[in-house]
Amino acid sequence: MSYAFPWFVLFLPLFAAVGIVLFTLKNRNVSATISIAAIVGGFFLTLLFLVNHGWTPGRNEVNWLWMVVGDLRIEFGLRLDPLSLLMLLVVTGVGGAIHIYSRGYMHDDPNAGRYFASLSLFTFSMLGVVLSTNFVQMFIFWELVGVSSYLLIGFWYARPSAADACKKAFLTNRLGDFGFLWGILMVWGALGSVNFVELEATLKANPVALGSLATAAGLLVFCGALGKSAQFPLHVWLPDAMEGPTPVSALIHAATMVAAGVYMLCRVFFIFNGPALEVIAWIGGFTALIAALMATRQDDIKRILAYSTLSQLGYMVMAVGLQGTVPAMYHLTTHAAFKAMLFLGAGSVIHAMHHEQNIWKMGGLRERMPITYRTFLLGTLALCGVPPFSGFFSKDEVLTQAFEHNPVLFAIATLVAMLTTFYMFRLVFVAFRGGHRADAASHAHESPGVMTWPLMFLAIPTVFAGFWGIETLLAHQFGGAAVHASGSMLDHLFSPFNHAPASAFLGLGAVGIGFLLAQRLYANAETDPLPEKLGWVSEFVRDRFYLDELYAILIRITHDALAQVSDALDRWVVSGFLVKGTHGSVELLGRGLRLLQTGSLQTYALMFAVGVAALLYFLLGGAQ
Amino acid sequence: MSTITYILLWPLLGAVCVAALPGSFRFAIRSIALATTFISMILAILLFVGFDASVAGPQFVQKVPWVQALGISYHVGVDGLNIGLLLMGAIVAFTAACMSSEIETRLKEYYILLLVMTVGILSAFASLDLFFFYFFHELALIPTFIMIGLWGRGENRNYATYKITIYLSIGALLALIGLISIYVQTGARTFDIIELTRLVSAKPIGAQSQGIIFPFLLFGFGILVSLWPFHTWAPLGYAAAPTATAMLHAGVLKKFGLYGLIRVAIPLLPDAARDWTQVLALLCLGNILYCGFVAMRQKNLLLLIGNSSVAHMGFVFLGIASLSLVGITGAVLVMIAHGFLAALTFALIGFLHRQTGTVEMDRLGGLLPRIPFVGAVMIMAMLAGCGLPGFANFVGEVTVFFGAWKVFPVITVLALWGALVIGGVYMLRAIRTVFHGPATTAFESLKDAVHPLARLSFVLLLGSLLLFGFFPRLLSDKIRPAADQIAAMVAPRETTAPVLAGTSAATDEPILRR
Repeated sequence: MSYAFPWFVLFLPLFAAVGIVLFTLKNRNVSATISIAAIVGGFFLTLLFLVNHGWTPGRNEVNWLWMVVGDLRIEFGLRLDPLSLLMLLVVTGVGGAIHIYSRGYMHDDPNAGRYFASLSLFTFSMLGVVLSTNFVQMFIFWELVGVSSYLLIGFWYARPSAADACKKAFLTNRLGDFGFLWGILMVWGALGSVNFVELEATLKANPVALGSLATAAGLLVFCGALGKSAQFPLHVWLPDAMEGPTPVSALIHAATMVAAGVYMLCRVFFIFNGPALEVIAWIGGFTALIAALMATRQDDIKRILAYSTLSQLGYMVMAVGLQGTVPAMYHLTTHAAFKAMLFLGAGSVIHAMHHEQNIWKMGGLRERMPITYRTFLLGTLALCGVPPFSGFFSKDEVLTQAFEHNPVLFAIATLVAMLTTFYMFRLVFVAFRGGHRADAASHAHESPGVMTWPLMFLAIPTVFAGFWGIETLLAHQFGGAAVHASGSMLDHLFSPFNHAPASAFLGLGAVGIGFLLAQRLYANAETDPLPEKLGWVSEFVRDRFYLDELYAILIRITHDALAQVSDALDRWVVSGFLVKGTHGSVELLGRGLRLLQTGSLQTYALMFAVGVAALLYFLLGGAQ
Repeated sequence: MSTITYILLWPLLGAVCVAALPGSFRFAIRSIALATTFISMILAILLFVGFDASVAGPQFVQKVPWVQALGISYHVGVDGLNIGLLLMGAIVAFTAACMSSEIETRLKEYYILLLVMTVGILSAFASLDLFFFYFFHELALIPTFIMIGLWGRGENRNYATYKITIYLSIGALLALIGLISIYVQTGARTFDIIELTRLVSAKPIGAQSQGIIFPFLLFGFGILVSLWPFHTWAPLGYAAAPTATAMLHAGVLKKFGLYGLIRVAIPLLPDAARDWTQVLALLCLGNILYCGFVAMRQKNLLLLIGNSSVAHMGFVFLGIASLSLVGITGAVLVMIAHGFLAALTFALIGFLHRQTGTVEMDRLGGLLPRIPFVGAVMIMAMLAGCGLPGFANFVGEVTVFFGAWKVFPVITVLALWGALVIGGVYMLRAIRTVFHGPATTAFESLKDAVHPLARLSFVLLLGSLLLFGFFPRLLSDKIRPAADQIAAMVAPRETTAPVLAGTSAATDEPILRR
């Protein structure tokens, strides 16, 4: 019976979404309750399943035939192994807290019913990605994740900025999906299967089965992760996606959707060869660096967190590229918890500040919002990688991985660690410490329990997840011993320093430098001193290296230009000799064409027949 | 009598009854049209449910000899290729009748034409006799022209009628030449498609004759389906057509050309088909990329959807060009899915047009809060149009890509770009312009669809898309045996072994991996 649990975990949110849309769209409270019940129910069912079967259930794949045509077999199934079960817990656990928080945050919105329906649809899609047993199933849910995030980012679609942001997010993801599906076709064409287990077995038996396509296939599949995990050069959608409600940012842009890319890389790790991994590692490292730089110059509390997310995702992707699936997934797990908490904390602040998001208009919130402040501080410490918080352990593993494999990337990663501490403490100093810079800040007060309880719940993994043996579990999945010997909590705390002291101490040192810099510049600062000191560099970084503008130009001179040419051709050439002149703009040509426009049907028919005959003649001549 | 005959007779009976009534009996006329198409739809659903997917040949066959000297007979039946199309056609016909409440003038004539068109369409797909196959298509085509001319909309109406009439007549004419040539070349004195196929596979038509006949069929049928560069009639025609006509033509009747290629041209002229696939695959890029780009530039919602509909035909052509089991199955899937989708989008835009009086996107904006039901269905339809999983279109398109990948990798990748990126761009831009953004004050009195018939048609069409999108085996298992036969017939001689039918059936059961 309990093998049915994962099916329920997957489908409960879908039923919730459908039920809300069909019956309770107008009723905000009932909709919220249904949606919350579905995901929290999923969390407990996952726990029950783990109690019954442990992390490695006897049956690790259940399949149902979705479609079969000739040599194309597509199944719909559930993959049950430590990797997917861990992700189930992350998605339903962190997601559940965010759902509950949303009930408070969205309480006054008249369209909350639609909000919760979209949220449940998103949860369903994300769980589908996690549980997929094959490439096509994953691609299906991959796209569904894209569309549900489209709905959520564009929740306030009446605002032009939100409407543009959701479009941008979906289309940027589509670019990645284009590569992803191409890669899937390539893998299927070469190996004749889309099932992960079969593919892994094939590649294990014959590591060169993909032949000369190996690097290309790996990189194309990686394109999918570029889009979803917002890696350079497809990172541009994530900061804009902050136009969605803040809990959405916490769910999608911190804990789940953006993690899907990293999860996918780990799931199909067997497909990547050396050169592909090299590229992946460098893209990850580069994204981590530029995003951290951009984060230092943002003033919007959510955007700082968004760039920080980009940067941390870069860490994870880099770790995968350095063959460190365990560190990548470990950091993904801890990051999901503390970054979601940071976003929810930011949401709590925004809620209290009546939708003011500029940190320079806040200040002194420490006294006004003690719970939010404390949890936010815990999240910041975890993100910076201060022991004994969870982020310290996972980040240390990433740094160690880099230290052992690629010294240049290690240097970048350490620099990023410093920058991370710098921009996060800049945020803390400016928003929470010091004096009130605006009226709203002095009138702010703590959010209601429905919002603070999820914060406190998420504080648990933020602080303690480093001691839960997640890395041992993952090491089991990916074959290989855990990096840290397990012993008492104290042993565990010091094990990074014993095991790989250089990377641990360098990482901590970077954190220290970042903190000191932030304290020097921003403790009690009234305005930002950096723009004066750095001049144009500051502007350049603030404006995201003008990458968005560059892309806009690129699209205009390529894709849009092609559309323009096609349209002109269609108007004037392809349908040209029958064009009757569509209104004023056509006049010039219309005048010339008047000679042809006899108005007689026979003439037209004759001309047309002659044209067809000529074309046929050429085509026939060419074919033989 | 076969159920199929009843499916065809009911709308015919309706047409006769409407013709017998005086034109002032508006309610009775409309009721008759609705009732007969509804019964026909229910029968088609029953037929679909009763269809046995394990049988390869045609089912529910009925054959009544007509002109024995020429070998013409009334011969209907369904196999994997047309069962889904018949179901889709019957559903679209009923919803088209539902959406006809916009017609105010000359009701009697309108409904007679609509019902005749329905009979023609459904019969063309059900016919296994080459003569009736062609005859019924013409029977459906003529009402199309008249309806656009008389009840069409917009200033370009007359021009569009001219254009669509010329194009489609020429297309049909070319196809007719090809069909007659086949009849003459086989010398079998029969119009029975099944019989012809059997004869030809035993004793093929000479390679040279095939090479001459095939282009007639390819371009004749191609023009009917708006194969690039013979596509320009389609967007204009649909923009000018009354809602129900656009639904029936874009959704169902247009598929006749594709169906003809798969049913007649490829099995009867396999050698020529192989020679022409390169050309067809290149032309399909014209549909997918070029028309996709054109759609990106449209400011009129109807023209945008019209061009996107042309672009979607490219996927079917690509699937056909691959000449593989997977590709042909995918092509049939796209045909069915696109039928539902085209009907749905044209129904929605027709509704919108009647409410707002314009389909110029610049003048619309922020409509979603005003018409939440129609808006939500429209957004879903547009997402289905850019290949979102969950809708039947995705299943078809992705199957086509898998089928074409091994034969035309480069073209498949370009088509992939058209499906995922170009399609996404114009659909999302349309949603952004029409539904998102701040609400304009211009359309404050806009009313959502409240009439149960209107809602029912939207739900039926959207529901079908979702049903087959979630459970594609409902269609693919039925299509597979027939597609398998076609693929085997067109496979190069030395490897023509009908092995696939056996193996693909044997591996139906899911594999349990540990």
